[in-house]
Amino acid sequence: MNPFTGVGVGLRRPHLQQVAALASSPVPFWEIAPENVVGQGGSRHRQVMKILERDPIITHGLSMSIGGFDAWDRDVLENLKGFLKETQSPWHSEHLCWSSFGGATTHELLPMPFTRDSVRHTVERAKRLQAELPVPFLFENVSYYACLGVSEMSEKDFFAEVLEGADCGWLLDINNIYVNSRNHGFDAKEWLEGMPLERVQQMHIAGHTWYEDDQIIIDTHGAPVIDPVIELMQWVLPRIGRPVPVLLERDNEIPELEVLLAERVSLQKAYDDAFATVGVQHG
Amino acid sequence: MPLRPWGFNMVEAPEPFITSTWQLQRCMTDLILNAEGAKAFAADPKAFGAERSLGKADQAALETFQSRLLTYRGLARNALEDPLPDCFPITHTLLEGAELWDACLDAFLASRTIQSPYYRDVNPAFVTWLANSTWGQDRWPFLLQLAHFEYIEVEILRWPDDPLSKELKTKPTADGQVVFGGATRNLAYAYRVHEATKEDPKPTAGETFLLGYRDTEGDFNYSELSAHASAFLARCMEDEPIGTAASVLNLELEEVLDLLSGFRAKGAIEGFR
Repeated sequence: MNPFTGVGVGLRRPHLQQVAALASSPVPFWEIAPENVVGQGGSRHRQVMKILERDPIITHGLSMSIGGFDAWDRDVLENLKGFLKETQSPWHSEHLCWSSFGGATTHELLPMPFTRDSVRHTVERAKRLQAELPVPFLFENVSYYACLGVSEMSEKDFFAEVLEGADCGWLLDINNIYVNSRNHGFDAKEWLEGMPLERVQQMHIAGHTWYEDDQIIIDTHGAPVIDPVIELMQWVLPRIGRPVPVLLERDNEIPELEVLLAERVSLQKAYDDAFATVGVQHG
Repeated sequence: MPLRPWGFNMVEAPEPFITSTWQLQRCMTDLILNAEGAKAFAADPKAFGAERSLGKADQAALETFQSRLLTYRGLARNALEDPLPDCFPITHTLLEGAELWDACLDAFLASRTIQSPYYRDVNPAFVTWLANSTWGQDRWPFLLQLAHFEYIEVEILRWPDDPLSKELKTKPTADGQVVFGGATRNLAYAYRVHEATKEDPKPTAGETFLLGYRDTEGDFNYSELSAHASAFLARCMEDEPIGTAASVLNLELEEVLDLLSGFRAKGAIEGFR
């Protein structure tokens, strides 16, 4: 059975001890950030390694700043390549954004300008990274709260052009599309129509937070997934036409493992229902 | 290379790479990491962009998205601040108590010391910045040493595990050498940093020698040392034979062998060769 289908969960530090002590995996797969594992040691690290040896893993990177200009650290890249081989991750994903400039790292997912120059630059960087990696590379669409500079195209066209130009896969973050649709006033389904869904290899789903004072939704990953986002997932899955894996992310206000796993079960049911209604087999 | 008026360790790209995307990212970095930059942007986004060589259309876009772009400064600040109170709970309490935590964070971010793509490296970057900048150390001369000791606990806990060696002996001998655990640190401070607490965050002055290590349970631990014991262990860390190190420091061989056996039992020492 292909483990990379259904709904998985992001493996987080507060749950390591409990998950490592389980006899078998409670999820089809976990997602993990290589940056949080490589070059580490100690008891928590041993718990992570135990889980990695036992359970299917997909990797998701946080720090390559692919839309940026800073050269990649050779050691960081070699560590990543080694980790991908070791874990046998089916692919590796990163955000379509930048996070460092002039050697200074912000650890924030910053928006790309939606311009032809930006497309050309990002495509070139993505191709170079893909050439280095031992597994296929996916770009994730991000939440953006502002346009950086004047836009020559829409965010949708920008993302599609980068995917096509770099000829890479798509990690479709359904919550990010919902957040962007609310913050920028467009229809999420219209955004998805006409996009190259054949490139989708994986999805992300997460909760977000509405800030009344600033009239903005922030992609906090700090709350349960809301129904409209689940419905959007169910809408797009049959259109993708394949049972791509969906990953539940939770990075803030992290609940007990049991609570997170219960949310996963609920999402799994929604996932199964989405395929059942159109008769697509998976598993 | 001369700094631009807005420059804080600004790195100039080689000529062929100066593109509109590069200019916009430079502008955004100034806004995010520099409190002064954010202030200037909040006052007049168009002028902020003009000073950074952006064209008129990009300047206008900065004005259109002014409040949302400022949101990014808050997000980045949160991202970089988040790990610090956990790693430096006493330092954080001290500065919060003096209402200087935000100023400290502003200065840290503006220094652009955080360069590693690994999020865990925000913590050592903070210690490096305190060392380089001497920020706050006129008022609290112990600040760097306190932060260093707090960081050492995290470093020791996460240090990569040592490869298992079957070659090592379990008992020290005069002509043998000590193999320390990779996470073991021989530390010297001018303040009693290990006695500081969140309730009483100001350590008293006093020469302090500590051996920090990961114990057999995998937890952080430390032992206070005499100046002589610290000097002896420092020599052992340089691979000096145990007997020679003891002799140079006029230490009794039996005493140092007991000391080393004790630290092996605690997990600070892997073994002897």
